[in-house]
Order: sequence, then structure tokens, then C-alpha cells
Amino acid sequence: MILTGTEIIRNFHLGKIKIDPFNESRATTNSYDLKLGNRFIIYKSKIIDPKQKPEYELIKASRRGILLNKGQFILGETKEKLGSDHFVPIVHAKSGVARMGLFVHVTADIIDIGSYGNSTLQLYATLPVKLYPDMDIAQVSFWVPKGKITLYEGKYQHSDGPQASKIWMSMKK
Amino acid sequence: MILTGSEIYKEVMKGNIYLEPFSRDQLNPNTYNYRLGETLKKFTYFDGEKSIFSTIKIPNNGYLLSSGQMYLGQTMEIIGSKKYTTSLIGKSSLGRLGLFLQLSANLGHTGIKHQWTLELYAALPIIIYPKMIIGQVSFWTNYGDVSPYSGEYGKFSIPQESILFNHNAL
Repeated sequence: MILTGTEIIRNFHLGKIKIDPFNESRATTNSYDLKLGNRFIIYKSKIIDPKQKPEYELIKASRRGILLNKGQFILGETKEKLGSDHFVPIVHAKSGVARMGLFVHVTADIIDIGSYGNSTLQLYATLPVKLYPDMDIAQVSFWVPKGKITLYEGKYQHSDGPQASKIWMSMKK
Repeated sequence: MILTGSEIYKEVMKGNIYLEPFSRDQLNPNTYNYRLGETLKKFTYFDGEKSIFSTIKIPNNGYLLSSGQMYLGQTMEIIGSKKYTTSLIGKSSLGRLGLFLQLSANLGHTGIKHQWTLELYAALPIIIYPKMIIGQVSFWTNYGDVSPYSGEYGKFSIPQESILFNHNAL
């Protein structure tokens, strides 16, 4: 089952959903709207090898925004920190952003239950796209789990800003 | 409702979810991690009607995916359930490296059990390794009577390119 907007607001006030900053007016019929933060990660490695720590640059965008070229891939962040120990969050693009040819994640839309932090956005532009900090970029829905809950304790917990992949830590063996 | 990791484990033990091989340490709070099988298909050319793929065995020292290129892969595990609906997606650790896994069709039908075909698309050039953990699968409770899947892809365990043109050619 997916929570309605009124249930998202109710569960926020019960402390079962954490979103910071939170504003009731940003709850939609079945989701909560998320803004784009101002921190971005651009990979520098010519070839990505999951066994090696990738080289990257962290940049901060000004109000004038940043331009993504067609085919460009960078990481961004949601301005909000979010998570829940009771529901499973799933991140979706805003359709207005998808209609500009922008993916906000390329594969993994589920956020583990118990995870909390700025959500990292996997930004991939199929057309040239201009992005501005604070623009509406994504939305999060909350789903009811079935079964005993084990909370997330993984390597991206308490993310502050976009997080580059840490897969090399588990691939090294 | 989406099953938690402990519920997935319970249902695997009861036989309501099939994951083979199964390893408990591949469970997440709400999903199960699957590995990449060794067979890859690479798009080579379009013959005017359909895309032609060539088959590659991924070597142990890895295979470099070119950016902007579409590949088909397979899960190492046989995955399925007669009771739940599956959703097959990637891992954030690989999505953060620009690797798409399943371009848009993540929904698996109740009743299918096979090695799933993966749609891989690399936004950046990236090396993949056989048996690496590449994605995750979630299980969802159904609402309503389940009519078993009668489609054509469920019988394939090798990466299977689209057979849509067979229908369109009629």
C-alpha cells in the first residue's frame, strides 16, 4: 500500500516519517515534493572500475544554475534529508523534469527502511538541461512493509550531500 | 505491501519465493541482492527490422561497457515467485556510477521463475565482472486472484533480446 499525502503529513507529525525541512504544502496526493540541493559530484576517472575508488570533483552551484549536456551524468542531492523507520521510501522524478529529458535516478529508486540523509540523485540528461538549486526535482512516496523490520546500517547512512559510489569497499576482497 | 528482508527469508524457506543460489548475507532491509551472470549480449547492428546482438562471455578480469551502448545481461540467480509480484532494479552503488539496470521495465510477473534478462546501459564507461552484485529484487503482495503469466519471455534463462517484431510482423 502507498500512503496518501494526508497520511504522509500525519506520519510526519507522529515522527514515523522524517523530512527536513518539512512543509505541509509540499505534500501531493501520494507523495512529497523534493528540491534540488546545490552540491554536485562529477566523476573524473576516464573509465569506471568498481574495484577502484573513483576520482571525482565536488562542486557547488550558484543561483545561476548548472548546464547538463546531452548524455552527461553527474550526481546531485535532494535539499531535504529524509527517511523512515516505518515505511519504505521510493524516489521518483517530477514529471515536469522527466519531460525535459532528465533522469533523476538511473536504476535504484528504493530507499532502504531505516536509512536517513540527503538522497543522492543520479542525474542523466538525454537532452541539454539547465538545473537550478531549489528547483522541484523529485518526489518521494512511502510504502507499507510486510514482515519484521530490520533497519538499514549500510555505507551511505547519514549522507550529508551527494555520495559517490562506495562499491569499491565491498568489491575489494 | 513490500516484503521486508526477514519476510523474504521466511518465504524463501517456505518455498513461496524461489532464489537459487540463495545466500542470507545478500538480504537487505527490503530487497535481495542478485549477481550478474556470465553471458552478455551486445548490440551490433540494426537490420532494418530488429536489433542484432552478439554473445560475449564476461571474462573473470572484467569487461568494459562502452558509454551510450545498450547490452543485455542475465541474473546469475534463478528468481521467481508464485505468490508475489517481483520488481527487479539495480543497486544505488552502481547507479551512482551511471550504470542503468532495467531501462524502464522493472515489473516481474507472478509465476515466472528464471534467470532474468537485464537491460544494461552505461552512462559512463564502466567495467563489469561476472558474479558481481549488480542489482536487487523486491517482492510485493498481490491484491486479487492471480492468473498465471502466459507470456513468452518467462521461459528464457539466457539474455533474450526483444521478440516484439514477431508480433508486429503479423
